[in-house]
Amino acid sequence: MERGLSWRNFDFLLLGAVVLASAFGTVMIRSAIAGNEVLQPLISRQVYFAILGVVLIFLLASIDYRYWISLYRPIHLVIIVFLLTLTGFGQEAFGAQRWFQVGVLFLQPTEFAKIVALIVLARYFEVTRDQPRDLRWMAGAFFRAIWIIGLILLQPNLSNVMVLSVILAVMLWVNGIQVRQVVFALLLGILLLGTVITLSVLGVQIPGMQAYQQERIVNFVVPNPNDTFGNRYNVQQALIAVGSGGVSGQGYGYGSQTQLRFLKVRHTDFIFAAASEEFGLAGGLLIIITLGLVVWRCIRAAQKARDVSGAMLAIGVATLIFFQGAVNIGMNLNLLPVSGLPLPFISYGGSGLTALMIGIGLVQSVVMRQKELEF
Amino acid sequence: MSTGSESRPVRFEAWRLGVIYFVVGITLTGFILRLINLQLFNSDLYHTRAVDNYTTEVSIPAARGIIYDRNGYILARNVASYNVVVTPANLPVDDSDIQRIYRELSDLVDVPVGGPVTDESLEEAKLFAPCVPGPGISQLVALQDTLAPYSPVKIQCNVSEEVARIVEEKKVDWPGVSVEIEPIRDYPTGSLTSHVIGFLGPIPASQEEELRARGFIPNRDKIGYAGVETSLQDILAGRNGLRVVQVDVAGQEIRNLEPPITPVPGHNVYLTIDTRLQAAAQATLEEEIRFWNTYFGRVRISSGVIIAINPKTGEILAMVSYPTYENNRLSRFIPAYYYEQLSQDPRKPLLNNAISAEYPPGSTFKLSTATGAFNEGVVDLDDIVQAPGQLLLCERFNPNDPCTDRNTRPFVDYIFDQRPEGFGPLTFLQCIAYSSNVCFYKLGGGFENEIPQGLGIERLQQYARAIGYDAASGIQLPGEQDGLIPDPQWKRINTGENWSTGDTYIASVGQGYVLATPLQVLMSGATIANNGKVMQPTIVRQVTDGDGNVVEVWFNPQDFTATEFETPGSYQISPFTPNMKWDITVEPLIQEYSCDGPYCTLTDDFKIVKPETVQAVRAGTRRTVTDTTFGTLNDLFTDFPIAVAGKTGTAEYCDDVARAADRCQFGAWPTHSWTLAYAPFEDPEIAVIAFAYNGGEGASVAGPMVARVIKAYFEIKALDIAQGAPPP
Repeated sequence: MERGLSWRNFDFLLLGAVVLASAFGTVMIRSAIAGNEVLQPLISRQVYFAILGVVLIFLLASIDYRYWISLYRPIHLVIIVFLLTLTGFGQEAFGAQRWFQVGVLFLQPTEFAKIVALIVLARYFEVTRDQPRDLRWMAGAFFRAIWIIGLILLQPNLSNVMVLSVILAVMLWVNGIQVRQVVFALLLGILLLGTVITLSVLGVQIPGMQAYQQERIVNFVVPNPNDTFGNRYNVQQALIAVGSGGVSGQGYGYGSQTQLRFLKVRHTDFIFAAASEEFGLAGGLLIIITLGLVVWRCIRAAQKARDVSGAMLAIGVATLIFFQGAVNIGMNLNLLPVSGLPLPFISYGGSGLTALMIGIGLVQSVVMRQKELEF
Repeated sequence: MSTGSESRPVRFEAWRLGVIYFVVGITLTGFILRLINLQLFNSDLYHTRAVDNYTTEVSIPAARGIIYDRNGYILARNVASYNVVVTPANLPVDDSDIQRIYRELSDLVDVPVGGPVTDESLEEAKLFAPCVPGPGISQLVALQDTLAPYSPVKIQCNVSEEVARIVEEKKVDWPGVSVEIEPIRDYPTGSLTSHVIGFLGPIPASQEEELRARGFIPNRDKIGYAGVETSLQDILAGRNGLRVVQVDVAGQEIRNLEPPITPVPGHNVYLTIDTRLQAAAQATLEEEIRFWNTYFGRVRISSGVIIAINPKTGEILAMVSYPTYENNRLSRFIPAYYYEQLSQDPRKPLLNNAISAEYPPGSTFKLSTATGAFNEGVVDLDDIVQAPGQLLLCERFNPNDPCTDRNTRPFVDYIFDQRPEGFGPLTFLQCIAYSSNVCFYKLGGGFENEIPQGLGIERLQQYARAIGYDAASGIQLPGEQDGLIPDPQWKRINTGENWSTGDTYIASVGQGYVLATPLQVLMSGATIANNGKVMQPTIVRQVTDGDGNVVEVWFNPQDFTATEFETPGSYQISPFTPNMKWDITVEPLIQEYSCDGPYCTLTDDFKIVKPETVQAVRAGTRRTVTDTTFGTLNDLFTDFPIAVAGKTGTAEYCDDVARAADRCQFGAWPTHSWTLAYAPFEDPEIAVIAFAYNGGEGASVAGPMVARVIKAYFEIKALDIAQGAPPP
């Protein structure tokens, strides 16, 4: 315990929101996998990870985040080794290598790599806080992030590459990137996105992208109305689940889409739809509002941070949670194309939950060591 | 720009964070609006789709009605057929257990286990229809597992009861393996009654929509393809039950959503057929045909018909058409090889010759000519008609055509070869009894001054129609033909030629353009036997429900439907009521012609057939049996105690088959053999027709068949009376 540490600044609202989200997630996972004996251990496993996560929050809150910033080199190295090993020894799952088996647990180093990327970037922006915001500054940030992003791209895991790209973009934005560079980047991005969509719709294979990823984009942009059992099936079932929930919901354990398994991967990707079906408008609003609350508290922590690195950690965690959550909910509501990004704190996934809890712990650490001049 | 230093608090440009707050706020607001839109305003739509997802209708098959003969002998029933099936979802989890089950099951039902499940082997297995041997158990189950894991897949069909019992006993050791009981139509009398009963087949695509709307399930439910299975389909089929069930995504039933609708079994049908007489008729027909074919050393008679009817009620007691087919071979499914064989056989075994084939009726048609000539006063009982061996008559296409050598040709009596002088002077009754062609030429077409005004084709047509020709009888069997009684207009339209005097002569003896089904010929005889009352021929005696209560049923021959209520044009078939179509001695059916020489015109007056006319024709048919000189049926019934009456026919024909065989030589055309008889003469209770395609002389081929069937009828009747049964 360092001197002058004040638990008065510990953000109990943030902790409450996170605990509420995790608890609600566990409840929904239980309903989603009801009747499937093979998946029953997932419930207790998720509870253990949630408890472990809360412990980690307090642990990390009590440690000054600047230790991690200063230790960024070994941390970065370790995660790169993990990601490298993964490409060799990781298990083959759905064509993409994302798992790392330790005993009975499948660890996803990618989830932790995202937190490490935050630390690496935070350190960079701290160091370069007085540099002019020129191309060299931008290139430096990009160079720091490219190791992790590159290895994740090799898996290939395009969704998480996008998550990290967005985090990088937001950090650049907050640190004062010039507006004309933003406009240029936006134009470039739109051009790139337009090219990818056009080529996908035309059926041209783009190097570096998997066929299924292009297919998902095509299905989103130009849905085939007759395709009831193909690729659009999951999204259609999610929409039916959300819509049939109505205002009051079908009742916990009584959602026909969830309980009769018309809704697929309902304990991970489509848990938002399951919650909306069984709890109605209340379930969906609870998730959206909790997500908003967590994001708000993280940005608030960034505003109060005593230095750039702390602010960057908080803003990074906020971006991470918000972007993942928005992409997931958007997919559930058929507003965005299908991706494998889980709903933060609610979807099943031990690594993801633990990593996010670590992120929240870092934010707590930042907010507890906030600027002294605050009255 | 950041302006912080290590000691100073960080200061970001506020508007940049503002943009971030703005983006977060907009996004989350968008989600909330979308959520409200889906859950508040479109909830009903999605709720309907969710209900659609989990609601499935399961049809419960209704048992098809049983078909009996008039004595309650079963002609068609449903028997259980056992199929060994595997439900993939119920198989054990462990792969070695599954392999053990496959191995043991394979030994029992003789279906290979099948190699490892690969994409290629699955593709190959997809090509096989259910029940067709080929794919291994592993492939069949793997395929079903991807389609509907909770629905059973057939591994081996139609296994013995013993195998079925073994599988049931092993239920505990073989989870997922079970026996499915499928009802199969069984015809105990098989080919004996196949033309009357018919067979079942799958619902054809053309009727799928209509039948689906009535609750039938294509690929499971079958419909009649021939015989009463077709005509009484609506009565026999019953109504499928329905369960509305909740299913999960894999198709497993969770619960009933609505109270189930129980199936209504089909009604049972009692036919008028007497299986014993049917068997006798078939044996007679087949023996006779075999005899003559053996005698000539080649297939001479290729098809034949025997029908027996009760002339007073119209009940068909026997209906046999040769060649026949085995409808039990079509009961599980219609095997392609057998169907090919049947449809490519030139003798057309699938065709019910009794009602679906038209032949020249030959001399049996003389009943029409005789009735007309007598009723019109062309001839009277006391008149003598000169019957030389042949008549030289000229073909006139117009009344004023001159008679020259070129258009004059001989019209020969059949006896000409044996007795060139012919029968000599004949009375009206002898004309019928001896079946003298010359006599009937004269009656039909007139002859010089002896019979200056014959019946003429127009009036002949009227009388033929009155006793049952030229229209389908409306019996409850599909594919009935209506025959043809020509008239001058028909000839002009169809051949582009004028009617000639010769056409009238040969039509008078049932040749030329005249065509009739065996049933029509039988009905003409039954009408004469029944004193002019034309009965509706029927094959159905009564219809009962599952509890044995007789149900009221009407049959409509126009649209060929059986209903439990009366429709316009329908007649009642259950409970049994003899339906009289008309009585020619009561109803004025004969349209009068006003004839001036050869020119005849229709008038608006109608007249009846005088009862004396019918009696005179009846007397003629009786004389056919009693006249010992030339009575054509005399020798067949010499010792028979019951008075029989009848008429023979030897019909010349020249169809495609005969023409191909170059048998149509002038004056020596091939002939069909016909005989019609009824008994007892005074109060007839049976009339029988026999027909043999290319049989030759009526009296020597068809005659003996009719005699045997009539004798068999009275033997069966005597047996029934001896056993205390009430007479039919």
